[in-house]
Amino acid sequence: MTYYLLPKDKINDFLAALADSEVWAPVKKEGVTLFEPLKDVAHLPLDLKNQPVLSKKALFPQNELLFTFDRKGTVTEADLAAANDIIVFGIRPCDARSFTLLDPVFEGDVPDPYYLTRRRKAALLGIACSEPFVNCFCTSIGGSPFGREGLDLLFIEGDDTFTVEVITQRGREIMEKASPLLSPAPAEERNHVEQRTQEAQAKVKRQLDLSGVPEKLALLFEHPIWKEFALKCIGCGICTYSCPTCYCFDMQDEAAPKKGKRIRTWDSCMFAEYTLHASGHNPRPSRTERFRNRIYHKFKFNPDTFGSYSCVGCGRCITLCPVNVDIIDYLSLVRETA
Amino acid sequence: MNNPYLPLVARIVDVRDEVPGERPIKTFKVVLENGTTLGHRPGQCAIIGILGTGECMISIASSPTRQDSLEFSVMRLGQVTSALHECEPGDTISLRGPYGNGFPLHEWKGKNIVTIGGGIGQAPLRPIVHYILDNRSDFGKLDVLYGARSSSDLCFRDELFLLKKNGDASVHLSIDAAEPDWTGFVGFVPSNLLEVKPSPENTIAITCGPVVMIKYVIKNLLELGFTDDQIFTTMENRMKCGIGKCGRCNVGHLYVCKDGPVFSYATLKDLPEF
Repeated sequence: MTYYLLPKDKINDFLAALADSEVWAPVKKEGVTLFEPLKDVAHLPLDLKNQPVLSKKALFPQNELLFTFDRKGTVTEADLAAANDIIVFGIRPCDARSFTLLDPVFEGDVPDPYYLTRRRKAALLGIACSEPFVNCFCTSIGGSPFGREGLDLLFIEGDDTFTVEVITQRGREIMEKASPLLSPAPAEERNHVEQRTQEAQAKVKRQLDLSGVPEKLALLFEHPIWKEFALKCIGCGICTYSCPTCYCFDMQDEAAPKKGKRIRTWDSCMFAEYTLHASGHNPRPSRTERFRNRIYHKFKFNPDTFGSYSCVGCGRCITLCPVNVDIIDYLSLVRETA
Repeated sequence: MNNPYLPLVARIVDVRDEVPGERPIKTFKVVLENGTTLGHRPGQCAIIGILGTGECMISIASSPTRQDSLEFSVMRLGQVTSALHECEPGDTISLRGPYGNGFPLHEWKGKNIVTIGGGIGQAPLRPIVHYILDNRSDFGKLDVLYGARSSSDLCFRDELFLLKKNGDASVHLSIDAAEPDWTGFVGFVPSNLLEVKPSPENTIAITCGPVVMIKYVIKNLLELGFTDDQIFTTMENRMKCGIGKCGRCNVGHLYVCKDGPVFSYATLKDLPEF
């Protein structure tokens, strides 16, 4: 593993050296932090603290043009080839890992050119979570606050410097572009990073024991616990909109008299309209079925289809839920239910 | 990379009124503007729509053995189907597909076939009937059971009456409530099935219709001695992408759009939510 040192006050210069790409980073804007493509890289106030900002939209936009059309029915595809290389800087290890879970969905039997084009052009530059959040549980689900999965570079924050670990060839090429800002790290840096990793992992306080959960779910589909669990849920959908591994989408037409466009937007399985038939029939008519489907999708159906949970333990659905629905508590109850 | 979301243009060449009333059904015959055919299998679906309004998944109501026609029978219910019902011959619609697995007709060679349809559910079964008629020597006996609320709600009525008259298949029609001049069965489709009593011997039964009907038809087929792998159904759910990505059409871990819409009861009975 190769390590370099980057002075923290040079981070904007580092990103400026990559500005021939579309660079995304967490930026402070009117009091809030957003994940956005940077316009004026050298002067932007970056927010490098750990925070619940979702980077998913850099590769899977919340609203995305699929094609335009005219009155004669002529369809013009969104120009995928025109997209620049993409740098996603400041992504957390759990979110980088989430893209490795989205990949098989969008590859699948029929590849999705929109997601895959952006994904293949993207380099993921992560910041290690030295200070995990109160609801983080990545270590229970195969992740780590210093996890490398999906990342090209891992930035480890020190007092005045970032230690940058080069993970992939793509990461090495990025480092070459910014080489004047970097210095090689001393040989003992590897041990130092290992120590920091241990410390951070120990700070992940919440634990979720998933052993036997998929098997248990196979038996509990008709169990009354789902009605009980769903009573609290208000169906707002924040759990799915804040989830790095959720990918459900809707397609809608925006049309003017002579032209229009078809847009893809994020959708949520927590909404009744999501599955409502035109006939009025709804296979998931109440929050009980919808809540159950969300849990089953993440912890039973996705493992059945792709061999992995559709969850990286980021804890956002817990933190952001307005009525304190806590997926760790519910899955623990599933384990205990006979 | 091929873009699966881009629709083709299809021109409507004929519109047939099937069923009048509150929930009318029309059959649209279309041809692709690029001069090609879809190359579909019976039981597959296509996503049709009106640009500016949207799309919906509709089963292909015609058999690939009749290459000159690509037909969709559409009940007017939502925004897209309402817009489609406004269309006339000469108008264009958007079309992409075909989607889904279709019926395993090659595995059914040499067998007797029973189709059991209700309402608009006859549309995906119709290509099976046409396919068998066009490959008659490949199959045994063909029974077509079909029911609707009333005689005016019967889809493909003329075609079914003609089929009955010609004796190419045994056609058993039913309506829910008695009407003067009706000589067929009166009652629900699952009851008609028990009346017709098809033999399970070397037979495949395929059913499509309202969810409740399908459940009782399967129950009655099992009662008649059909085994789980002799029973097939074709399902529908709300769909957007058609390629197993947008999420909403799942039944358990399977997606109706790509893993279905045709399922054997052997597969289906183990799925949650069915």
